[in-house]
Amino acid sequence: MNFYEHTLIAKQDISTSDLEKIEKKYKNIITETEGKLIKVEKWGLLNFARKIKAYNKGFYIHYKFEAENKTLNEIKKNSVIDNSLLRHLTVRYKKLDTETEYFKEKDSNEKKK
Amino acid sequence: MKRKNNKKFNKRPQNPLNKLSLFQKSDSRFSKKCPLSGKDAPIIDYKNTKLLRRYISDTDKIMPSRITSVSQNKQRKLTSEIKKAKILGLI
Repeated sequence: MNFYEHTLIAKQDISTSDLEKIEKKYKNIITETEGKLIKVEKWGLLNFARKIKAYNKGFYIHYKFEAENKTLNEIKKNSVIDNSLLRHLTVRYKKLDTETEYFKEKDSNEKKK
Repeated sequence: MKRKNNKKFNKRPQNPLNKLSLFQKSDSRFSKKCPLSGKDAPIIDYKNTKLLRRYISDTDKIMPSRITSVSQNKQRKLTSEIKKAKILGLI
């Protein structure tokens, strides 16, 4: 078992209900294939540095989990076919730090206070 | 074997008049120590875009370590993290 991070970029013109579906879909994939989900971060709508397939913005979803090779293949298979995704990236880590969040949404935090 | 001429490895003269030509860059622009190694060095990660932005040029090229004085080990890590960030469109 190794630690992994996986980030998805979904298209901007997707409805919020579809976004939740995508988030749930990959959560299920991780848990069904005997992986341990540690954390899910929603980075929200971010601007790209340059255009990706004629899109300027995208929704970012970030997973941190512990799994084996089987789940990685399953995730890759699904995200390559998926039409609502623009890019995806998985990175292996020896140690995960779950504390520091580089993309905190400032607006949502202020509303809670 | 002992090294006899240790003087060779001493600091270069700091006087700006010692430059060979006008266009030669001064040494004082960047410090000579590696800014990414040491005790409380920042974490090099593809999510830490604030740090990575400092090590790319205006045209999004990776800066050479001879200018930024990053150590060899950290430079290798930097390039891989910068490339990851570029895939995700963060930089």
